[in-house]
Amino acid sequence: MFRRPNLYTSYEAETQVLPTFTKKIITVLAIVALFLMPFDFPIISGPTELPILRSIPLIGDGLPFFRFLGDASWLRYMSDAMIVVIAALGLNILTGMAGQVSLGHAFFLGVGAYTGAFLGGHATDSVYGHGLPMWIWLPGAGVGAALVGIIVSPVAVRLRGLYLAIVTLGLVFLGIHMGNTDWGRKFAGDPSLGRSFPEMDVRVWKEETPLVSISEKGSWFGVEMSSNQKEFLFVAAVMLVFIFFAVNIKRTRTGRALQAIRDRDIAAEVMGVAEFKYKLVAFATSSFFAGVAGALYASHIGKMPAAQFNLILSIEFIAILLIGGAGTVAGTIMGSFFVILLPQLVKDFSDWLSERAEGEGIVASVSELILSGNQGDFGPISTATQTPNYPLSIYDLNIVLYGVLIIVFLIFEPLGLYGIWVKVRNYWKRWPFSY
Amino acid sequence: MKKVTKGFAPLVALALVAAACGGDDAADEPADAPAAADEPADEPAAADEPADEPADEPADEPADAPAGEPAELLFDYGVSDDTIRVGMNADLSGPFASLVSQIVEGQEVYWEMVNEMGGVAGREVELVILDNAYDVPTHLANYEEMRVEDESGVVFFTESTGSPHTAATVDMLSEDNLLAIPLTWYSGWADPDLGANVVEINATYCIESMNGVEYLADTFDAETIAIVSLAGEYGQDGAQGAKLAAEALGLEIVYDGEGAIAGGDQTPIVTELVAAQPDIVWMTTTPTTFAEIFGGSVAQGLQAQWSGNSPTYSYLLLNTALADALSAYYTFSTYTALWGANDSEGMNLVISEMQKRRPDAIFSDNYIRGFLEAMTAHQILMAAADAGDITRAGILAAFQSAEIDFKGLAPNQTWSGDPNDYIVRETYLYDVDASIFTPDATVSDADGSTGNVLAAGPYAGTAAQAFTYEGPCFVAG
Repeated sequence: MFRRPNLYTSYEAETQVLPTFTKKIITVLAIVALFLMPFDFPIISGPTELPILRSIPLIGDGLPFFRFLGDASWLRYMSDAMIVVIAALGLNILTGMAGQVSLGHAFFLGVGAYTGAFLGGHATDSVYGHGLPMWIWLPGAGVGAALVGIIVSPVAVRLRGLYLAIVTLGLVFLGIHMGNTDWGRKFAGDPSLGRSFPEMDVRVWKEETPLVSISEKGSWFGVEMSSNQKEFLFVAAVMLVFIFFAVNIKRTRTGRALQAIRDRDIAAEVMGVAEFKYKLVAFATSSFFAGVAGALYASHIGKMPAAQFNLILSIEFIAILLIGGAGTVAGTIMGSFFVILLPQLVKDFSDWLSERAEGEGIVASVSELILSGNQGDFGPISTATQTPNYPLSIYDLNIVLYGVLIIVFLIFEPLGLYGIWVKVRNYWKRWPFSY
Repeated sequence: MKKVTKGFAPLVALALVAAACGGDDAADEPADAPAAADEPADEPAAADEPADEPADEPADEPADAPAGEPAELLFDYGVSDDTIRVGMNADLSGPFASLVSQIVEGQEVYWEMVNEMGGVAGREVELVILDNAYDVPTHLANYEEMRVEDESGVVFFTESTGSPHTAATVDMLSEDNLLAIPLTWYSGWADPDLGANVVEINATYCIESMNGVEYLADTFDAETIAIVSLAGEYGQDGAQGAKLAAEALGLEIVYDGEGAIAGGDQTPIVTELVAAQPDIVWMTTTPTTFAEIFGGSVAQGLQAQWSGNSPTYSYLLLNTALADALSAYYTFSTYTALWGANDSEGMNLVISEMQKRRPDAIFSDNYIRGFLEAMTAHQILMAAADAGDITRAGILAAFQSAEIDFKGLAPNQTWSGDPNDYIVRETYLYDVDASIFTPDATVSDADGSTGNVLAAGPYAGTAAQAFTYEGPCFVAG
C-alpha cells in the first residue's frame, strides 16, 4: 500500500490515470463529495453549527468560507465553475498541451451555444430552433464548434505565438459582429436580451414530457430536489466525463505528438509528427470541449445576449490556465474553480468583515484596515456604494485582483496553483524527511 | 462575462458625475415632513386627502393596525409573523452602481417611513438587498438565494436590475409566482409572453417616442423626420415608436437610421443627417453618441429640432460646448416628473422624506424612481394584505388588479385586463435652457437648476392615444 514515491516498475504503471493508491482514494472521495455537495446535510451545510466549532471565537459565528456548502446561490456558482472546467480543459489541450495560444476560446463557446440553441431551442418569429432533444443538441454543439475549429486550424500552421493570438482574438470580434447582423440575430436573438436556450432535459425525441427532467424541480430516487441541485448533478457528471477524456488524451500518441509540437514544432516534424494534422486535431478537440461547455453554460443561464461571449471571457480562460498551471489537468480544474469562485469569496469575505466592523477585537480591527464604509476611511475596499475611484468597489477590486494574480503567478509560480500543490505534496510525500 | 446595456449608460454618466460634483444642498426643513407620521397604518401622506381614491387605497383597515390580531391572513414564503421580506437584486458594485444605489436608497427611505407608520399587515417590511454586480450568473445565483421556499425567501422583487438579467429570470419568476420590478422600459415587458410577472412602471420607449415625435411635430410644425438609434431592445423599440408616430402624423421619414449606431465612428450618420435635412430628429441612444451626432450635425449647419428617449440625454451635456445648441434645438423627454418639477403630493413626499431621513445625500431624480418602485410595491402589498392573502400567488393576483397611485410623480398605473387598456400613454417633455443651468446642480431646486423646464406633461399625443398594443413595438429575441 505504501510504496516508495516515484518508483514505477513498468511503463503501464507510470502512465496509469491514477498511478497510486492514494490518488485512487482521493479521487473516489472527491467524486463522492462532489455528488453530495448539493444536499443539505447538517454536517456539510453547517459545520459552524457544531458545538465544538461554535466555541472557537473566530469560527464560532460563521467563517465566510464555509458558507458555500449546501447554499443555493453557491451551488449555482459551483455549477458555473464546473462548466468552465470543461471549456478550460479544452483550452488546456490547445494552449497548454499543444502550445497554440488562443484568445478566441469565447468564440468557440459562443459557436457551441448557438449551435445548441439552433438544434435544441424553440423557434419563434425572430429566432431559429428545432426543438431537438439534448442527446442531439449537446454533442451537436460540440461538433459544430469542432467544425469551425477545423476551418480555423490551417491558420495555426502558418502562424505562431503572438500572431496566432491576434488572429484568434479577431474571431471574438467577428463572432460578436455576426451576432448583431440580421442573419446572426436569427441565431442569437436580440443584442441586449438574447434568446432562450434549450433546457437540460432527457427526451427520446420531441415529446412533451421529458423522460428525466433536469430543469424542473422534482424528485430523483425519492429525494426532492430543486432544478438547481439537479443541474449541478448533471453538470458534474458531464464534467467528470470530460476530465477523464482530458486526462486520457495526454497518455495517447496524439497527446505526445501535441506536446512535441509545443516544445519545438520543427523538431517534432523532423521526428515524423504530422504538424498540420495534429494542430487540426488540437483545434477540433479544444473547440469540441468549448462547444459543449458553451451550450451547457447557455442552457444553465437560460437566456443571454451574444455579447456575453466576449474578449473578457477569453481572457478569463487564459487566466485560468496561467493561475491553475498550463498543461496540467489538475491545474486547469483548480484554476477554474479559483477564478470563478474568487469574486464570490471576496464578496462573502468583505460582507462577513463588514458585519463585524462595529465592535472590538481582531476582526473589527482587520475590518477597519481593509474596508471603508464612509468617505475618508482608510481601507481600500469600499462597502459604501457610490465610489467612482477610490476606495475600490468589490466589482473593481475583482478586476484588479485578476490582473495582479496573473502577474504574481507568472513571476513567482509559473506552474500555477498546480505548482504550489506539487510543492506541498512533495513536502508531505517525504515527511518527516523532507528537506 | 459582463455586459452593459447601452440604455443605462447615460443615467450612469449622470449619476457618476452627480456623485462626484454634487454639493450638500439638503435643506434642513423637517417641517415639510408628511403629516402622516403620527397616523399608524395609514397610506403615507394620505393625511391631507384621506379619501383620495377609496377603491384603490384599502389602507386604513383596522386589521392593519400593529396591535390588532392578524386576522386570517394567508402567507407562505418570505413572510413570518412579524416581517415581510422583499427582495432586491440590484447592481450595487457594477457599472450602474451609482444609479442603482440611489434607487435602492430611495426605496429604503420609503420603507423606513412605512415601517415607522406600522408596516404592512402588522408586519415590518424587511428589504433583502443582494448585489448582482450587473453580471447575469451572479444575478441568477442571487435569485436562487431569494426564491427559497421558506421564511428565508422573499415575497417579491422590488428591484431587478438589467434587461438581460431580468429576461434570464422570466421563466423562473413564473414558476415561483414571483413578481419583479425591472429597470427598463422595453415595450415587450407588457407582453404576457415575455413578462407575465414583470411589473413595468411608466410608459415604454415606444410610447415615449410617439409622444416625443408628436410634440416636436406640433410645436415646430415639422414635415420631415430622421430617426437614429442603437441596435437592440432599447434602440429599436424607441425607433419603432418614432416610425409609428411618423406614419400616424403623415411625417416623411427622410433618413431611417434604426439600429445604425454601431462602433465608434458616427460620421456616416452625421453625413446622412445633414444631407437629408429633416425638420426633426428622433434619437434612441446614449448621451455620448448623442453628443457626437448632435454636435457634428449642428456644426455642419443642420437646423432641426431634436429629441430622444430619456436615456439619450443628460443635463451634464450642458457643461460642454454644446450648451447653446442644446438650448436652441433639444427637448428632453422622460417618463416621470423630475425633482421639484411639480407641486404634487408625491413630489412633496419624496423631497421632504429625503431631506428628513438622508439630509447628507446628494439628491437626484433617481430617488424619484426609487419612490416609484417602492410605491408600486407598497400598494400591491397593501392590496394583497387587504384581500387577506400575502402568499406569492396572492401578491401576483393583487398585482393583476392593483391600481397604483403615484400621487403626481408619474401617471397612475394598472395592469388589469388587456394591455391596451392599461399601458401608460403619458410622458413628460422638458425644454432645455442653458441660461438657467447651474454647473454643480444635481436637481432643480432653490439652489440651482439642471436646465430642464417642464414644457408638457403628463402629455399623451394623438398617436399614442390611438395606438393599439398588439405586442412589442420591436420584437426582441
